[in-house]
Amino acid sequence: MFRKILIANRGEIALRVIRALREMGIRSVAVYSDVDRASLHVRKADEAAHIGNYLNIDHIVEAARHHGVDAIHPGYGFLSENARFAQACEDAGFVFIGPSPRSIQLMGSKTEARRVARDGGAPVVPGTECLPGTEDLSDMPGFPVMLKAVAGGGGKGMRRVDRRQDLQSAFEAASSEALRAFGDGRIYVEKLIENARHIEIQVLGDKHGNMVHLGERECSVQRRHQKVIEESPSPLVARHPELRQRMGEAAIRAARAAGYFNAGTVEFLADNSGNFYFLEMNTRLQVEHPVTEMVTGLDLVRLQIEIAAGAQLPFRQDDIALRGAALECRIYAEDPANNFFPSPGKITQLAEPSGPGVRLDSGIYAGWTVPLDYDPMLAKLIVWADTREHAIERALRALGEYHVGGIQSNIPLFRAILNDPQFRAGDLHTGYLDQLLRNGIQFNPPASAELPAIAALVASRRNRTSEQPQSVSNEPSRWVTTGRADLLR
Amino acid sequence: MTVIRIDGEPVHPASGDIVKTEPGVYSVLVDGASYEVRVQEQQISIGEHRFLFEIDDPRQWKRSGGAAGAHGRASIVAPMPGKVVRVLVAIDDQVVAGQGIVVVEAMKMQNELKAPRAGRVTAILVAEHDGVNAGTVLAVIE
Repeated sequence: MFRKILIANRGEIALRVIRALREMGIRSVAVYSDVDRASLHVRKADEAAHIGNYLNIDHIVEAARHHGVDAIHPGYGFLSENARFAQACEDAGFVFIGPSPRSIQLMGSKTEARRVARDGGAPVVPGTECLPGTEDLSDMPGFPVMLKAVAGGGGKGMRRVDRRQDLQSAFEAASSEALRAFGDGRIYVEKLIENARHIEIQVLGDKHGNMVHLGERECSVQRRHQKVIEESPSPLVARHPELRQRMGEAAIRAARAAGYFNAGTVEFLADNSGNFYFLEMNTRLQVEHPVTEMVTGLDLVRLQIEIAAGAQLPFRQDDIALRGAALECRIYAEDPANNFFPSPGKITQLAEPSGPGVRLDSGIYAGWTVPLDYDPMLAKLIVWADTREHAIERALRALGEYHVGGIQSNIPLFRAILNDPQFRAGDLHTGYLDQLLRNGIQFNPPASAELPAIAALVASRRNRTSEQPQSVSNEPSRWVTTGRADLLR
Repeated sequence: MTVIRIDGEPVHPASGDIVKTEPGVYSVLVDGASYEVRVQEQQISIGEHRFLFEIDDPRQWKRSGGAAGAHGRASIVAPMPGKVVRVLVAIDDQVVAGQGIVVVEAMKMQNELKAPRAGRVTAILVAEHDGVNAGTVLAVIE
């Protein structure tokens, strides 16, 4: 087994890996950028190395060498699906905790992945393999279509197009976004499956040819193609129990066709009649992996590390049993009442939920300044309960205990979704949240009559003890800055 | 006489037992009911409910809070630092409420700043690729 592992990532996922390593008695090496010196993952790791930038392969490999690690865990995002990075790790003599560079490359090109999956016998969405420019439309499926980045992921470089005259501008926007996000502006086209659900299968394979699936996660609650809530089991699979096995087998076929090992996720679009289509495969640990961990009782990060070290899967498909229901809320530093504008800044207060069935994978602490430089995800709140209904009630309870002060967070959004009758009924599709938002959400629901007087009592107490609303942070508050700018006009 | 305004309305404070438990956090007991109240600058949170408070105190030189008033024109203001990726309108364009005016990228997200109301674009103060700070006025609508 490994003695020391470097984690080429930041935030909550770096913490997640550090925790698994500590349980396994393996030393952890964090890496950090200029703005992340004071980040939680650096505080909690056994060792840390400054690398400047999480995309700098040379610096990461150099840090691994300097710290004498055996293996490198890429987390998700950043270099996790970069075949060149996986190869550079192996070339330098470090085990890459993930699949082979070849599998990453195959599945990393979304058009290549479609071919592999189709050849492996998984149904794929009708579409063209590649769209070099909008002048070539011969293979186009009928509108509406989705434009997607060949190198894509995380919703970057994706556009819905309803009419031909919108194609050119949508293509340019998607292509430039993809170029900035992935360094590859190629775009392909898929037929848009209306009212589809996003359901994905977690697979896990070892280097000896054994592979299992760990059931599904439904990730249909999305905003701008970014997942917001993920859950397992899927409400659709609860209605069509045979779907789990059919999708699971299709996922394993697609993964096997790519010679896959380690943890991976095969994403499908599914309709309410139980048809499903291969979308893409993510060749890494997913953000939402805890949902599967809660219902299977497995530790996916530990299994990833054991598989990378050459171990056989310690169970077979028949040994996998799903229990209860889990759901995850992605907590972001953004203001749902103000067009989801990002809200970086100093966290001045933090109250975190706990209690039965609550898991918080968080990367923040009170006094930390959320940097501008990265995705604004702060934490993941995961709850487990015996039924979906109880899990929803538990999530609402936990959200009530959660308070992030000094910046805005999307916690109010989750209250609105979890209380929405359509969500409660499990009638989901990938356009569900956009629809809910279009219909208008009351983010500050009417308060009961006594609350303003309670607020006034606290306000008067603060005034009396001249506890003026002193800014806890050193930076000027946004209210003040904006106010001053207004006065100068 | 001190007047406490909650969301702009004068409110008479409840009478009860109040204890500061952590910085910015108060435990309030009123008629046997227990409330946890958090204060952040001018915002008070009680559970999921949020209130803005102002205090008109004659002993103080000026009123606290509530800096922004009503304007005869509407400004599109960057709520946080970022980079302008696109300007969607031109000077003298007639715009409708909710129409996108400027796209600002921050934290790897593109955000469309929309017109708060209908009107004519009288000023565009930024160009594509400009860096902007929180509070920077991007455009003006009259």
